[in-house]
Amino acid sequence: MKKLLVFTTLLVLGSSIYGQTYNTFEPSKTQFMLRGYGHTGFEYMDSGDETESTFLGSAFAPIFLYKHSDRLMFEAELEFVLESNELEIGLEYADVMYVLNKNMTVRAGKFLLPFGTFMERLHPAWINRLPNAPLGYGHDGIAPSSGIGVELRGAFDLGGPKLNYSVYSTNGPRIKDGSEEPEEAGILQFANYEDTNLAKAYGGRIGLLPFSDSSTEIGFSAYSTSGTGEEDSEFEDIGAFLYALDFSLVKQIPGLSGIVDVKAQYNSSNVDTATFIEMHEDGDEEEYSFDNQSNSFYAQLSYRPTMANSDFVKKLEFVGRYSDFNAPEGAEWEEKSTQYAFGLNYWLSWRSVVKLSYQTTETEGGHDGDGITNTDGLFLHWAIGF
Amino acid sequence: MKTVYKLIIALVILATTGLTVVACSSTKGTYSDVPATADAVAEEEFKMEKSGAQLWGETCNRCHIAPSPADYNDTDWETISLHMRVRANLTEKESMKIEEFLKSAN
Repeated sequence: MKKLLVFTTLLVLGSSIYGQTYNTFEPSKTQFMLRGYGHTGFEYMDSGDETESTFLGSAFAPIFLYKHSDRLMFEAELEFVLESNELEIGLEYADVMYVLNKNMTVRAGKFLLPFGTFMERLHPAWINRLPNAPLGYGHDGIAPSSGIGVELRGAFDLGGPKLNYSVYSTNGPRIKDGSEEPEEAGILQFANYEDTNLAKAYGGRIGLLPFSDSSTEIGFSAYSTSGTGEEDSEFEDIGAFLYALDFSLVKQIPGLSGIVDVKAQYNSSNVDTATFIEMHEDGDEEEYSFDNQSNSFYAQLSYRPTMANSDFVKKLEFVGRYSDFNAPEGAEWEEKSTQYAFGLNYWLSWRSVVKLSYQTTETEGGHDGDGITNTDGLFLHWAIGF
Repeated sequence: MKTVYKLIIALVILATTGLTVVACSSTKGTYSDVPATADAVAEEEFKMEKSGAQLWGETCNRCHIAPSPADYNDTDWETISLHMRVRANLTEKESMKIEEFLKSAN
C-alpha cells in the first residue's frame, strides 16, 4: 500500500512538472496553420430546350500553411468538389517560398500564375463577388491558372506609388491535338504535371499602384512558349503567346456612402497555326487549320453601402458583371459568348457571404452546336473562408 | 522572334507609362525643406508614414474585406502575414505594419 501511495504521488507530481514545461505558452518558431474556404448552394438553369435545378454539394478547399521561419514557408491547397456524381480532388497549388530580401521572394513548385489577377487573387468563393468565374476562365478557358516551375516576385515602395512584379518559368502548356477529343483540337491545356518537350513557358506580370492610397492597380501580364506539342511530334514547334491587362479600383466614396470596387481583365491568346485532322462519320479524314486566336474580357462593378445607418443595409453588396469570350473561327470549339451577371450579396461576416445572382448568357457556336443558345441561370450560394 | 518583339514593346510601353505616372505623382521630399532638428525629422516621418490600421484598411480591401483582428491570435497573424505578403505581392513595410496592427488589436 505504501509503495502504491509513493508511486501515485510521484506520478501526479511528475506529470505536473512535465505539463508545466510544455505549458509555457511561448510561440514556437515553426507554425502550422489550416485555413481555406468552402461553399455550397442551389442553381436553376434554363437554356430554352432544357431546364435543370440542383442543390450543389459542398466544395471544400483546405489550405495548409507551414511557416518554417520568418523567411521560409510551405503552402498547399487541396480542392474537394462533388461533380458529375463523383468526388473530384485537385491540388490547386503546393509550393515552397523563401524571402530572399525585402524586394524579392522565390517560389518553387505548383503555384497560381499571376496572369492577370482573377485566378491568383480573386477566384476563391469567399472573395469572388459572384457565384462563378467570368467567361474565359476554368475548363476550356484561355487564361492559365497554375503551373509547375519556379518564380521570383516582389514589390517596391516608390514613396507613395508601389510597383509589384513577378517573373516565372513553368513546364508550359500542351496543345490538344484532337486525337482524344477532336472537338477540342487546338485548345491549350495548362495543368501539366510533367513536361513532354524541352520548351518551357516564360511569363510575368508587372503591377503598378500609382496612388499612395493603393486604391488603383493596373497590371500587364505575358506568357510565352516556343513549343506546346510533344517532343518529335508535328506540334513540337507550335508556340503560343498570351497576354493580359488588368485593372482594379477599390475606394470608399463618401458621396456614395460606401465602397466601390471595380475589377476588369482582358486576356488574349495567340497560338501558332497548326494542322489538325477531322474524322467524318464515313471514316474519311480531312485536314484543316485555323487562325488560333482567342480572347476574353470581364468588367465587374460592386458597391457596399458601408456608411449606411442601418446595420442590415451595411452588410449588403450590389454586383454587376459583363464578360465575353471569343474562340477562333474555324475551330471545332469556335464560340462567341456574352454574359451579363447581376448579384445581391449579404455579408454575414468579413469572410462569409450569401450570394443571390441572376445571369444570362448568349452563346454562338461552342461544343453544343452552331446555333445561338441563350441560357438564364439563378444562383444562391453560401461561401465561407476560414 | 515576333513574340519577343511584342513582349519587349509591351514592356517598354508599360515601363514608360509607369515611370511617367510615378514621376508625376510622387512628391515625397522633392520640394520640402530639410528639417533642422531631430524633432522636425520625426515630425516629417510621422506625416509621411501610414499607420498599420490605415494600411490594413487600404491593402486588404483590394481583394477581400479586411479581416477582423480578433479572429486570430498573434502566432496565426504572423503566419497569415507572411502568406499574404507573397500571395498579394505586398511590400515588406506594408506587411510588417499590418501584422503589428493586427497583433495589437486582437
